[in-house]
Amino acid sequence: MDDRNHENLRELFEKFFDAEQAESCVENIRKAEQFFRDHPAPEPDDMLIANIKAEIAMRLQGSRAHRIRRIIYEVVGAAAVIIFVAAVSLQLFLKQDTPQNGDYIQASIIPTEIWEGDDITIDDDNLAVFTAQIEQIEEEVIALQSGKETGNGDSTLTELEMELIEINSDFWKG
Amino acid sequence: MTEINDLARIITGCKGGDDKCFAQIIDMYASRCYGYFYRLTGNNDISDELLSELFVKLVEKIGSYKGGSFESWLFRIASNIFHDHLRDKQRRKKLLKSQVAEFESGTIEPKQSDGELTDKLQIQLGKLDGDTRELIMLRFYSQLSFKEIAQIRTEPIGTTLAKTHRALQKLREYMEG
Repeated sequence: MDDRNHENLRELFEKFFDAEQAESCVENIRKAEQFFRDHPAPEPDDMLIANIKAEIAMRLQGSRAHRIRRIIYEVVGAAAVIIFVAAVSLQLFLKQDTPQNGDYIQASIIPTEIWEGDDITIDDDNLAVFTAQIEQIEEEVIALQSGKETGNGDSTLTELEMELIEINSDFWKG
Repeated sequence: MTEINDLARIITGCKGGDDKCFAQIIDMYASRCYGYFYRLTGNNDISDELLSELFVKLVEKIGSYKGGSFESWLFRIASNIFHDHLRDKQRRKKLLKSQVAEFESGTIEPKQSDGELTDKLQIQLGKLDGDTRELIMLRFYSQLSFKEIAQIRTEPIGTTLAKTHRALQKLREYMEG
């Protein structure tokens, strides 16, 4: 006997029962099917079916509206986040390009020219004056040595020595 | 084959939220599902409620249907709804101490409501225990194979067959006796 689902019941029952029992099982199923055919259960009321369909349609409509609302909220939310991030990024970008007052207070204690250059006299006028004088004396000594200077060489050297002593004493005096 | 393709098309429509497809599913299964609930409860009003609940659940859960036997999936939900109903009923009975004895018997007596006539089969089914009665209802209303019924009941197929054999033997005795 083949089942509604193409299940061979006899074969199926024979896997678990002996042939006689399997036969009895199949016979019982056939008989029970007959009982159910002879005593059909009541059918659902048409009004009930109509109400169920109406309720489902209403729920689906509600869920569609809810879905659309949710999509709108999500899109608006995402747009707001994007705009906010873009605005913050733009502001940071502009700040980087045009540094404001006070942005580099700590760094400005040491001037950039000194920090980045080799010229140590740049921030001290006295040091610059001394450096210039030393350079001048150096040039004069070189000129004397090369014989460019005319006149009394000894007195010139003495003058230079005097100047050097003077500069030296001024330097240590501060 | 055409029926299977039609059902697949209707289910796809249901997943897309088409109320006409849900209406088709209701037309296809309402009668069998109602019979299943009625034979288990013996009450038209409760069967009405459970049938409504089943199709509302179907709308909520259709997205979780991943193929396989649709009837098996549908009757699994129906079975769960019936068990929820039983648990709810038992909770209410606990509150009504006067009905403790009836609760302990664990059987659902067929009841007449609104002047309905209870047929002979319903009376004899009422003599079976709840679990056996549900097994028979699954067999005759869901039109599932024993293998699928065993899966729904999460028990070995041999157990399902043995229980069916005993239950139908009893039912036959009651009906013919």
